[in-house]
Formats: sequence, structure tokens, C-alpha cells
Amino acid sequence: MASDTPDSGDGVDYRFTLANERTFLAWVRTALALLAGAVAVLHLLPLEWADGSRTAVGLVLAGLAGVITIYAPLRWFRVQRIMSRGDTLRMSLLPVVTTLAVAAIVVLILLGNLL
Amino acid sequence: MSGPVDRDPGLQPERTLMSWQRTLILMVLVGLLFMRGSLVPETTHIPEPSMPIRATMMAMSIIMAGLLALHVQLRWRRCGHGTRDPESGRPPLNVATPWAMVTVSATVFVLSVVLVVGTVLAV
Repeated sequence: MASDTPDSGDGVDYRFTLANERTFLAWVRTALALLAGAVAVLHLLPLEWADGSRTAVGLVLAGLAGVITIYAPLRWFRVQRIMSRGDTLRMSLLPVVTTLAVAAIVVLILLGNLL
Repeated sequence: MSGPVDRDPGLQPERTLMSWQRTLILMVLVGLLFMRGSLVPETTHIPEPSMPIRATMMAMSIIMAGLLALHVQLRWRRCGHGTRDPESGRPPLNVATPWAMVTVSATVFVLSVVLVVGTVLAV
């Protein structure tokens, strides 16, 4: 690569498309981790919780994993298209949603154990 | 590999390949976790999915991870370790094909749907 901006032919820098692919994979790993947490809460750990809260926490984790796996490829494709057009990227809401959901569950579990 | 190779200075393709490997290893682990019963033996108050469902989930994640790993590995070799796409002759834009990305998302999506549906039906 002699030039400063390696070009892959259609005007897209392959370093950015690879970074986009890695972001996609990071989302998939996030979904898998949430799924592992859901399986642990629902089926593996004999927690001293009411059945309702166990089911609710498990469903939120598994549901969030499902939403992320739909979002991840769509976001990958959208970013790919925006990069080939040279447009500006728009912010996404899902990182905030994921953070808030996980934080809410952490607070619930902490309060449940303390009270 | 022998001789000097024209590589990306930031090793971007290699990093992406390792990202795929991490993801697929995690997929196998989550599949095995589905198979696992309660962490404390002889507890009866945890709902447990039936054996065929657990075995299917485990088999699906291991088989899909194996196929995707094979795809990524073959494509990695065909693209000269991420240096040139056989079609364009330039560095490939992606380590895996877009279809592999759809497949990995779909597999994880099916895992989470089975978990949600199984839990809702058991309530």
C-alpha cells in the first residue's frame, strides 16, 4: 500500500469495511453473551428467586439478544452503503438501549439481593 | 508463508479473522451451555427444556459454527490471507461474505427465539 488511503476500487477504504465487519461481530458476541446469561438464569442456576422474576429477567436478556441479531446485519449493510456513497453516519439508538436494559437488570438483581 | 508479503500495516484482515474466530468459539460455548443441565445436581425447581430441544440447540450451534469457520478459513486462503480478492485483485472488503454474516445472525436469532418461546410456553 503506497498511498495513504488504500482504495478497494469502488471508492471504499477496505480498512473501514473490515472495521464495520468487526463491529458487526462484536454485536453478535454481545447477543451470544446475553443469551448465555439468559440460559444461566432460566435453566442453570438454582436462584432463590420468585419464578416470575426469574422468567422476566431471562426473557428480557433473550429478547434483547434476538433484537440485536436482527439489528446487527441491517446496521452492517446500512453502514456499508453509507460508506460507499460517502455520506455521514447517523447515530444508532441500540447501544443506549442495551446499556440501559443491562443496567436495569443489574440494579434489580442488586436490590433483590440486598433487600 | 514464505517470503515477504504485502500486508496491511495495521493487520486489519487478521484482526477481523480473529474476531470471527472469537465469535464462533463463543457460539459453540453457548451451544454447550444449552445442553448443560442445572449447575447444582438434584435441584428440581428449575424449569428444564426437554432433552431433544437441548440436543438440537447444541448440535445446531456446533454445526453452524463449524460450517462458518470452514467458510471463513477457505475464503481466507482464497484471498491470499486477506491481501487480495481473486476477483478485484485488491484487498477484500470483508473477511467473510455478507451471506455468512446473515447466517451467523440467523443462527443466534433462532437460539434466542427457541429460548423465549420455550420459556413462555413453560409458564
